[in-house]
Parts: sequence; structure tokens; C-alpha cells
Amino acid sequence: MELINREDHQKLYLQLYDILKKKIESGEWALNSQIPTEEDLCSMFSISRATVRTAVLELVRHGYLKRQQGKGTFICKNVVSEGLSMLTSFRESLFEEGLNFSTSLLARTVMMPVDDLDARLDIPPDKHIIYIKRLRLTGSEPVLLQESYVPYHICPLLLEDDIENISLLELFEKKYGIRITRVRNHIDIAYLSADEGRILRLPENSAAILLTQYFYSGETLFMYTRSVKRPDRFQISIELERKAN
Amino acid sequence: MSNGKTAKDVMIGIFEYPHVPYWFSIGQAIRIVKVSFISAKKYPDPMAILVFDEKYNLMGTLSLKDILKGLEPRFMKPTTKAQVPEEDESGLALIWDTLFTKGTKELAEKPVSEIMTPAKKFVEPGDPITKAAYLMLHNDLVLVPVLEDKKKFVGLVRMIEVFDSISDAVLKE
Repeated sequence: MELINREDHQKLYLQLYDILKKKIESGEWALNSQIPTEEDLCSMFSISRATVRTAVLELVRHGYLKRQQGKGTFICKNVVSEGLSMLTSFRESLFEEGLNFSTSLLARTVMMPVDDLDARLDIPPDKHIIYIKRLRLTGSEPVLLQESYVPYHICPLLLEDDIENISLLELFEKKYGIRITRVRNHIDIAYLSADEGRILRLPENSAAILLTQYFYSGETLFMYTRSVKRPDRFQISIELERKAN
Repeated sequence: MSNGKTAKDVMIGIFEYPHVPYWFSIGQAIRIVKVSFISAKKYPDPMAILVFDEKYNLMGTLSLKDILKGLEPRFMKPTTKAQVPEEDESGLALIWDTLFTKGTKELAEKPVSEIMTPAKKFVEPGDPITKAAYLMLHNDLVLVPVLEDKKKFVGLVRMIEVFDSISDAVLKE
């Protein structure tokens, strides 16, 4: 087993991050399996709990792990595609290409980050965030339920914008001058909660497609979006091209 | 008595307190109290959380007392005031202690909207602070929201600022 090298100049949490990331990417730790507890990781690598916590939070933030309150931390990604980048221009969602949606704003409020939102947005746990919940419809059919989280300090005026008719990305780029330089997308299967099922008109625990997206401007992560889509409506199109070497 | 001071003169910003939507659970609110106050060693008076609806309108406030009352075993709650015994209740407090953990986790799943103090009373920015004082005293409030045009939430008036202004006037007169 690879161990922490205390003579290495690299910070301990970054060394642990790399070790755990390799375990995930190589499949040594299987998708959806629970990782060892903080205590176990402390004894496995002879490091402090704070170091373990920082490394785990970093893996959560990068989409390798997800924390479930009261249950533990689980692997949620083991496939990495290096060298490919998105060819098409940035869109609100991968699901929207060529479709005529109407948008219904279900909620827009300010709140504190709960569960692992602070780690996902890379903000301290006592900072406020703007929460936006919207439903995309074609005609009267609900198709996509989208929840967006933006650190409040990045764009406080978002609370007053017409986000039923103007896309968030358009507002960020055109109104607030926040240029999107990178989007990380994760596609997964989700099982609908009672509330999500009610909104999408599907039974609770129905399988749905889950897209999580992290939007960056330079090194700043400015929005995290979680979209749940009915599985029976549309295809997803992603076009990629290899980066020039 | 208020030295001509208005709510606008003494109000504090709305981000002095954590904001949560009404669907947050009591457990989530507890974690926010821990992060925002206890771990950060910030102890504002009163210690409270602001509860909003999905359109970001203030619905109520949540004090530590509200949270603890929300976790209280249901059958320990008196149904009406007439049924509350007048005698010493220290015995009841002991039973409360033994039963507190039983079912507490379930109770912590309840939404905060069920246990908050609803924000029904408010002042306008131009209102004299004596109005805020009156509302606090007669409605047992720890905070009075300041709403512009009866809609836009722009600040909070606390007892300490009200007390400070009124006591200044008393001492001066």
C-alpha cells in the first residue's frame, strides 16, 4: 500500500488526496462502495484527523466522493477522461440542446450551506449561498428539475434577476462579466425523492438521470448545479474534441 | 423618549444572522448554529436564525429556545395553560432528562417552519424605535424585522439597540 512520505515537500493532505484518488480511479475502491472512516484512515496512514478530513473534502469537491449525512462517504466516480474537452459552447445544461423549454421558478432564496455544499462550492461553512430551484417544462410536461447553488458574495444581485426568462449563464457572462472558463460535468443515475417525484410526476424512488455541474471562472468555482431529468424524454448529446498538444 | 431615532438608525444588517429556508430540518438548523455561532465563537444576542420562504420573504425567526422546544418529547408538552401544574416542576425536569434522547433524532427531522416564531410583527425603516420596543415587549420578540414598503426585508432591530437608545433618552431627561 502506498504510504505518506513525510520527507516529501508536498503537503500531507495532498499526498493523501493523490493516494485515495488513485484507489478510486484504478477501481481498487469500487463505485458506490463506502470508504473507510476518518478514524480508520488516520490509523492506516498515521496522520491526523484534520489532514484526512481536508483530503476527503477535496475529493468530494472534485466529484470523486459523496458524503451522506449519517451514513458515510461513498465513491461516486472512477472514470476519468483526460485530453478531451467540450467542443460546443457552454450551455445552461447538457440536456437543453435544440429543445424549447419553458422555465418555472420554484424557489429562490438565501441559505447556509448544509450537508457537503460548503465542500462542493469550496466556501467556508458559515458563508451564505443563493439557492435557485427551477423546473423545465416542454408544454405542460415537467422534464428537468434543476437546483443551482451560487456563493452569495459572488453575485448578490442574482436575487433580483429575471431567471425565468434569462439563463443563469447568460446573466453571469453578459450582465456580471463572469466569464465561464471551465465546466465539470458528472452524469449518474439518481432515485427520486418524494418531493422530486411529485414535481416530475413520477413515483418516489423512480430512476432518473442526474447531472451535476461545477462552473468555473479561472480558478473560482462560482456555481454548482444539480439537475434531475426524467429518463423517458430526451437524449443527451455531448461533443468532445481532443486538446491540441 | 427615543430621541427621534428611527428603526433605520439602529437596525443591523440582515446578514448578521444565518438564513435558512423553511424546509430545512431542525437537525440542519442545529448544525448551522454549531458552525455559525459555537465553532466560530460568535455569540450575538439574541442568538437566532432567520427563516425564509421560497421567494426569499422572511417567515420567522428561530432561537435556541425554539430549537430545544422542538426537540422536547411530545407528551411532555402541556396541552393548555390550565393544565400546567403550579407546583415545583423539578421532578418533571428529571423525567424530561431521561426521555430527551428517545425519539429526539426523529423530532430533529421536522422542518424548522413547525417550530419557528412567525414574523408577524415588523416596523418600517422610518418608524420610531419605540414602536419596535412596544412590539418586542408585548409580543415576546427577540428581533423585529424592518420591512420597506411592507415587503422588502432590509434590516433587524434588536433589544440591545432599542434599550441603548431609550436608556440614553432616560438618562438625558
